[in-house]
Amino acid sequence: MSRALIRRLTNQLALTLSAGATLVGLLFLGWILWTLLANGVAGLSVHLFTQSTPPPGADGGLLNAIFGSAAMTLIGIAVGAPVGILAGTWLAEYGRETRLATLIRFVNDVLLSAPSIIVGLFIYQVVVVPMKHFSGLAGCLALAVIAIPVTVRTTEDMLSLVPQGMKDASLALGAYPWRTITGVIYPAARSGMVTGLLLAIARVSGETAPLLFTALNNQFWSRDLNAPIANLPVVIYQFAQSPYKEWQQLAWSGALLITLTILALSIIARVVVSALMPGRRQ
Amino acid sequence: MTTLQAASAKSLGSLEVGSIGQTVGQSTVPDPVFSCQDVNVRYGSKHALRNVTLDVGRRQVLAMIGPSGCGKSTFLRCLNRMNDTIAGAAVTGRILLDGQDIHGPGQDVVRLRARVGMVFQKPNPFPKSIYDNVAYGPRLHGLTRSRSDLDELVCTSLQRAGLWNEVKDRLKHAGTGLSGGQQQRLCIARTIAVQPEVILMDEPCSALDPVATARIEDLIDELKELYAIVIVTHSMHQAARVSQRTAYFHLGALVEVGETDRIFTNPRHRLTEAYITGRFG
Repeated sequence: MSRALIRRLTNQLALTLSAGATLVGLLFLGWILWTLLANGVAGLSVHLFTQSTPPPGADGGLLNAIFGSAAMTLIGIAVGAPVGILAGTWLAEYGRETRLATLIRFVNDVLLSAPSIIVGLFIYQVVVVPMKHFSGLAGCLALAVIAIPVTVRTTEDMLSLVPQGMKDASLALGAYPWRTITGVIYPAARSGMVTGLLLAIARVSGETAPLLFTALNNQFWSRDLNAPIANLPVVIYQFAQSPYKEWQQLAWSGALLITLTILALSIIARVVVSALMPGRRQ
Repeated sequence: MTTLQAASAKSLGSLEVGSIGQTVGQSTVPDPVFSCQDVNVRYGSKHALRNVTLDVGRRQVLAMIGPSGCGKSTFLRCLNRMNDTIAGAAVTGRILLDGQDIHGPGQDVVRLRARVGMVFQKPNPFPKSIYDNVAYGPRLHGLTRSRSDLDELVCTSLQRAGLWNEVKDRLKHAGTGLSGGQQQRLCIARTIAVQPEVILMDEPCSALDPVATARIEDLIDELKELYAIVIVTHSMHQAARVSQRTAYFHLGALVEVGETDRIFTNPRHRLTEAYITGRFG
């Protein structure tokens, strides 16, 4: 065989293998979405958004769980994201390659890949046990702890992408570093930081394990964050295991709802990136 | 150093290379804006600049030429203390701006950089509107009292940078949407807006095409009526066209300095002659 032929065949083989691998990945994604749609759509109705979780054998919705999830996610992000953004800023602009920054980066990566159930157990130990009851507040804190390493990472990555020349230009005009960060670097990294935030929300809103030990669940409508509060992931977890048809249907619908929300957030993140990309605005 | 450079350096004989240290030519000028004495810069263990003594005159252009890594950019970055931002950089020696030591106690690096502007090799406008790019410095230093003052300062800065006519109808558009040459003139306008005494330019045309380069060179010629300009350049033609004094650096030392006409017609040091006749660099 000639060398040209061998090269062409190798190329074909590599292409086929990588295309095949892509297809396998897409197949499972499509399968998951299809299963969710097929099982979840039947339960989609106005009741889902207007009624709370029902007792066994009755009709109901997911209002309390939707509210609980939204509230805890928003508060968790509101607490975790500022910490993460400031820490990421410090790593990218002040700490850089110092030994302390390297250590913090390593610890953050460990936290990033820690199983979320451990975060749940941690908050259970330091918040739920002293307070002697489960609460939405503990759930918020658990979600915040999960959001922090994600935002630290994305913030640092996005700030590092800002060209050094732009930072130098601001410094050479006589700006203090903090003014350079808020006046030049944040605006330049804006789209990336917004994306990071949306992805952190997506990540946090699907967490089940940390909420099992903290917010637990609540059968009824409740806005009290000092008490156990319903939330989609735990409702799905409990209802899916129940023997009741109505509960199982609600679990499917809840799962579809979370998936669609995360999908929407990811799409918004992409749109935001292309809309805010510096240089694209003419 | 490329093999060609190494070969030509060798052909010059080790004596000349070793004898760098005593600057040839007139390194001082009457009433300098910058007066630098025995400036040394070390990056960690690397001795990047050796005993440089050099004055910068008012209302004239000083060109700094020399092969890559010769220390000319390092020297430039001493003048607005941009070396401070590099970890491990140590600057020694005296640098006087209008008679005041810029490293002296109580000297504020922010004030210094307001008086000594810098234009970089690669055009680096901020991801903001054209107006906000130019207004960034004045806002930083609180140079204007009212919105109309600021409007006027932005306008005159863009006019001086020769960009006003091209952008006056789209001041709110992104500065990053301009062409490379326009971006570099925007960066010059941004520097001028702070009303500096000195403008440092680090190879300002090396990323531009010949037409944009010619515009910047014309601009430099006009700007020297108002500011002292120090320009690092790899183009000897550019140095000859825009500058009144030229300094030749080699291996971190200032080899020769003098009137540009004299340097290019009658260089005294063999290294200077070798460089400007294209034998290496």
